[in-house]
Amino acid sequence: MAKLVTGDGRTHIESPLMRESLVDRRVMGRTHSEHEYEILPEVTLVGIGGQSIFDRGREAILPIAEELGDGRGKHKMIVGVGGGTRVRHTVAIGLDLGLPTGGIAQLVGAMEEANAILLNALMAKKRSMVMMREHFWELPLYLESGMLPIVISIPPYHFWEPPPEGGPLPMHGPDFGLFIVAEVLGMKRIIFVKDVDGLYDRDPKKHPDAKLIPRTTLPELEKRMPQELCLDLQLFSTWRDARHVKRVQIVNGLRRGELTRALAGEDVGTVITRD
Amino acid sequence: MTKTIEGPLAGHTLTTQADVPIDYQPVALMPDVRVLKLGGQSILDRGRKAVFPVLEELVAAKDKHQLLLCCGGGTRARHIYSIASELEMPTGVLAALGGYVPRQNARMVQMLLARHGGLFMLHDDFEKLPLYFRLGCIPVMTGMPPFGYWEKPPDHGRIPPNRTDAGVFLTAEVLGVKRAIFIKDEDGLYEDDPKKHPGAKHIARISAGDLLARNLPDLVVERVVVEYLTRSRFCKELQIINGLKAGNITRALEGGDVGTIIHA
Repeated sequence: MAKLVTGDGRTHIESPLMRESLVDRRVMGRTHSEHEYEILPEVTLVGIGGQSIFDRGREAILPIAEELGDGRGKHKMIVGVGGGTRVRHTVAIGLDLGLPTGGIAQLVGAMEEANAILLNALMAKKRSMVMMREHFWELPLYLESGMLPIVISIPPYHFWEPPPEGGPLPMHGPDFGLFIVAEVLGMKRIIFVKDVDGLYDRDPKKHPDAKLIPRTTLPELEKRMPQELCLDLQLFSTWRDARHVKRVQIVNGLRRGELTRALAGEDVGTVITRD
Repeated sequence: MTKTIEGPLAGHTLTTQADVPIDYQPVALMPDVRVLKLGGQSILDRGRKAVFPVLEELVAAKDKHQLLLCCGGGTRARHIYSIASELEMPTGVLAALGGYVPRQNARMVQMLLARHGGLFMLHDDFEKLPLYFRLGCIPVMTGMPPFGYWEKPPDHGRIPPNRTDAGVFLTAEVLGVKRAIFIKDEDGLYEDDPKKHPGAKHIARISAGDLLARNLPDLVVERVVVEYLTRSRFCKELQIINGLKAGNITRALEGGDVGTIIHA
């Protein structure tokens, strides 16, 4: 039983962190341990690109919806969606109006929500559902009953988006948002579905001679981080201190069957491993 | 083909700050608001003896200044962080759990301020601030930012790096407020924890860069806040004052340099 401790003008509850400054590195270090509890380790997170898939409309969305529908039941999955070109338009107008970075971060989730609704309308008969943010604790129910939860990707930093480095764009984007969901729930792998064959050393849409990186590790990638990335930089810097996500895969959703093969564990596209 | 909306960011990856061809002139949304944090362990856990005089000073100033009160967590947050760490829970879970305590504290403060216009607000009510101020109310909210399960793991340990100090700073930053005021039980920043080292030297004014360069084992505010300060656009100063000394809050609200100022 925890005791109440008084005597210095404050009322404390006895615990190893009682009275301590939670800013003190020595104190914070005491909360460290090698292992961390895995909440839902058997689930795969699949991120569907906004600009790369949704903005292409029917020709790109329908095949992906079909593959997701076929994969449901075989794999426990959560599907995340991006916002795409409407996000870019929102940000461009917001910056021109001089809205603070946090104000812009507050706005963009709505565009993803619209894509979540679209995908759900297509897949409802395959048991998809739009899951509200933070409803993580309903996931066992959904996954055990074979449902396919769809979530929005952008993290809820909203007005409280930290000041970005080197420019006005919010730093915590959709790829980071999905990564952190996977990490906090103890998931092992994420598959990002884009419209390129994987990670390149340069943006392949601008540089035809860009080279595909089929397999790499996080430490290798950090040594030679490409200038133009198809994933948020914050994903990689957060991965360094993460414990659960072991594998981030990028596949081309425009190639029929690639997502299905990735779900089955095949090394298609780019596979980035933690070590 | 991609159905793109034309515009300066069409096709942009949004993963780099480079190639943003927009002349960005940020607007301060509500620069006159005074954003204040009521310390959890330092003020609220002291109960009536500390809380009543602090609230009295704030009420006396409420018709002169727009006050936004943000509450810290304190010992109950430490207790739940401690148990959750022992269970080896991820940082995001700790952040979500830690969020309940400052919300309780904000509700307590609201009850005490109700007859003076105290109003409990959630993050989702943030856009109603202009209404609350126009009505002469004192909005009270949690200091915790809404990151919750989305909080990043720190490089060591599992305590969420963005807690109530960070939330208060980020609130000031998005509102376009120059100075965030932290009401604690010490006169500001010291070279070590003054509660354990009574001889520790007081620092009246220091830049965020200098403070980070000193690499002190302990700080009076969360480390991320000092880092944010080096790249913020609006909130350029943190003021840490001792709320247990009568008059400090009033002087700080008038812009007086009491306590410690950490500047960008």
